[in-house]
Amino acid sequence: MSRKIIEMKGIVKSYYLGTPNELEILHGIDLDVYEGEFLSIVGASGSGKSTLMNILGALDRPTHGSFFLDHLPMENVKDDGLSKIRNKKIGFVFQNFNLIPRSSALNNVALPMLYAGKSRSERIHRAKELLKLVDMEDRGNHRPNELSGGQKQRVAIARSMANDPAIILADEPTGALDTHTGRMVMDIFHRLHEEQGKTIILISHNLELAEETQRTIRLRDGSIIENYMNGKKQLEGCYESI
Amino acid sequence: MNLFENIRLALEGLRANKMRALLTMLGIIIGIASVMAITTLGSAMTGSITSSMDKLGGKNITVSLDPKDYENYSEPKPDDYFTETELNTFKSHYPDKIKAISLSENAGSGKLNSGFIHKDISLTGTNPDYSIVNNINLVHGRFISDRDMQSNRKVIIIDTILKNTLVGENGDPLGLSVSVETALGNENYTIIGVYQKETNDNPMFSMGDDTRIQCFIPITTAKSLDPKSSVPLTSYNTFTIMATSETDSSQFSITTKEYFNKNLGKFSDYTVYAMSMESITNEATSMMGTLSLGLSVIAGISLLVGGIGVMNIMLVSVTERTKEIGIRKALGAPNSAIRSQFIIESIIICLIGGIIGIILGAILGITGSFLLKFPVNIPIKPMIIALVFSMGIGIFFGYYPANKAAKLNPIDALRYE
Repeated sequence: MSRKIIEMKGIVKSYYLGTPNELEILHGIDLDVYEGEFLSIVGASGSGKSTLMNILGALDRPTHGSFFLDHLPMENVKDDGLSKIRNKKIGFVFQNFNLIPRSSALNNVALPMLYAGKSRSERIHRAKELLKLVDMEDRGNHRPNELSGGQKQRVAIARSMANDPAIILADEPTGALDTHTGRMVMDIFHRLHEEQGKTIILISHNLELAEETQRTIRLRDGSIIENYMNGKKQLEGCYESI
Repeated sequence: MNLFENIRLALEGLRANKMRALLTMLGIIIGIASVMAITTLGSAMTGSITSSMDKLGGKNITVSLDPKDYENYSEPKPDDYFTETELNTFKSHYPDKIKAISLSENAGSGKLNSGFIHKDISLTGTNPDYSIVNNINLVHGRFISDRDMQSNRKVIIIDTILKNTLVGENGDPLGLSVSVETALGNENYTIIGVYQKETNDNPMFSMGDDTRIQCFIPITTAKSLDPKSSVPLTSYNTFTIMATSETDSSQFSITTKEYFNKNLGKFSDYTVYAMSMESITNEATSMMGTLSLGLSVIAGISLLVGGIGVMNIMLVSVTERTKEIGIRKALGAPNSAIRSQFIIESIIICLIGGIIGIILGAILGITGSFLLKFPVNIPIKPMIIALVFSMGIGIFFGYYPANKAAKLNPIDALRYE
C-alpha cells in the first residue's frame, strides 16, 4: 500500500460576506491521494473545483476539517508556513501559464529554487536540466512573450518540478491550448508520472482528459459525487489497494 | 533570498520602466542636489571666514575698559587705566601663554608733507609688540623700539606706496625728515622703517578699507601730542594680547578679564572687557552654520516631496505587478521576500537619485564657491550624510508600498488581470 500524500477529512470552506450571509462552497470533502497517483478532479464551473484546488495547493485554509499534506498537518499554519509548503511540496501549473514576463524562461524555472534558498549556480544547473526534460533547453534565454502557448506551458511544467515537489497541481493546463499542443502537454504529464513517479492532480472540466488519468473525482455543488478508478466506479475506502 | 538577488530584480524592474524611474528620481536628485549645493557653499563660506579671521589675528584677545553704566559715566580715573608696569607684571605672570602685548592709539589723520609732496595719512601710535601682533611686514629699516618709546622720539614708519612716492622705487627713505600736519599741530618726524601693506583678497572683508595710508609712530609720542590730555603717557585704556599658538584664547580671555578686574578698584565706574578673536570667529561660524542649516531645511522640503513621489510610483508599481506578486507567492515567496524586493527597489531609486544629486550639488556648490572666490573644498561629510539620507528616504517611503505588496492575498493576486 502506498503512502498517503493527501489526507482530507470533512473539509468545509465558507466565505463570509458580511455576518448574516455565509456562503459555503465546499460541504465536507473527504479525499485521500496516494503517492504516485495521477488523479483528476472534474466538475462544472461553480462546483468548487477552484476552491478545492486552492486548499490543496496551500494557497488557502479550510474553514473546517482536517488536512494532512505529506503527513504535515495543515491546520493553524501561518502565512509564511504556507509559503514554505507551497515552495517545497507543491508544483503549480496554471491554465494561463503565469510566467513572470520580464524574466527569461530559465529564470522562471529557477525562481522557486530562489525562494528555497538554493545557490545561483545550483539553480541555473537544475533549471537547465528541467528545461531539457520538457525539450526546451534551447529556449532558456527567451522571454515568455517570445514563446508559443505550448512552449510557455512546458516552461511552467519545468518550473513546477523545480523543488521536486510532492504533488504537481495542474489547473486546466490545456485550457488555453489547441488540441495538438494540449496533447503534447498531457504527454509530458504522463511521462513525468510514469518515468518519475510524480503524484499529479489534474483539475479540469474536460472529461476526455480526465479519463486518461488513473482516478477521477467528480465535484458538484461542493461535494464529491463520483469517484472512478480506471473507468470503474469506486466505493468509499475501496481504492486503498493501489 | 539574498540581497544580491533583490538588487538584480530591482534593477531589472527599473530597466523595464526607464523613463518612469528617471522622473521619479528627479525629485530626489533636485532635493539632494540643493542640500548638497547649500552645504558645500556654506562650508566654503565658513572656511573663508575662519581663514580671514585667522589672518586678522586668530589668537588675539582685545582687552579694554568698559563703563559699567553706559547711561552715566565719567572719564576713567588714573587708577582705572592699565599701566605699563601692570602689563609687564601680567606678561611675566603668564610667560607661556602670552606671545606679545600690543598697544595702539589712534593719533588722528593728517597730511604728510615733504617738499612738494602732500599725502593724506592716518597716524597710529603703537608699541614695539604691535608689529608682531598685527603681522606688520617690514621691508626697510626697523619698527619702533623701547627706547623710541621711553624718549617719545618723533620717528615714523611708512608703507611702501608712500615710500615710492617720496623717494621712488630704488630710493632710500631711512633718515628722511617729513612733516605731519594734524589737528593738534605740525610736527617733524624721521622715517625709520617701511612696511609692506598686505592686500586683502577676501571679498567679504574688502569693504570699508581705509584708503588713507597708515603710518605708525611710538604710542608715547602720540600721547604727548595732545597737551590737554591728563592721562599719563604710559597708561592705556585698551591693549591686545597675542596668545601663544597652544593657548586656548577664548579661555585665556576669561582669565585676563578676571586678572585685571581684580586690579580695578571696587568703586570704579569701569569694568574690564576681554574678547578673543576666536570667540568672534566661532560666533560668525555658528551663525553661518545656522544659516546654511535653515536653507538646508528648506531644500529638505523638496526632498520630502521627492520621497512622496517615490512612494507614489512604488504604489503604482505594486498595483501593476499584482499578478507577478501572486505568482511569486504561489511559488513560495514568503511575505518578507516580497517586502524586501520592493523596499530594495525603492532604495535603489533613491540611491541612484542621491548619487546623481550629490554629484550635481557638489558641482553647483564648488562652481558657486569658485565664482565667489571662496576656498573650494570637497565636502565629504555632507556627501556621506546625503547618501545615508537618500537611503533612509528609500526605506521610509518604500516601506508602505512594499508592505502592501507583501500582504496581498496570493489567490486574489493571481486572479488579478
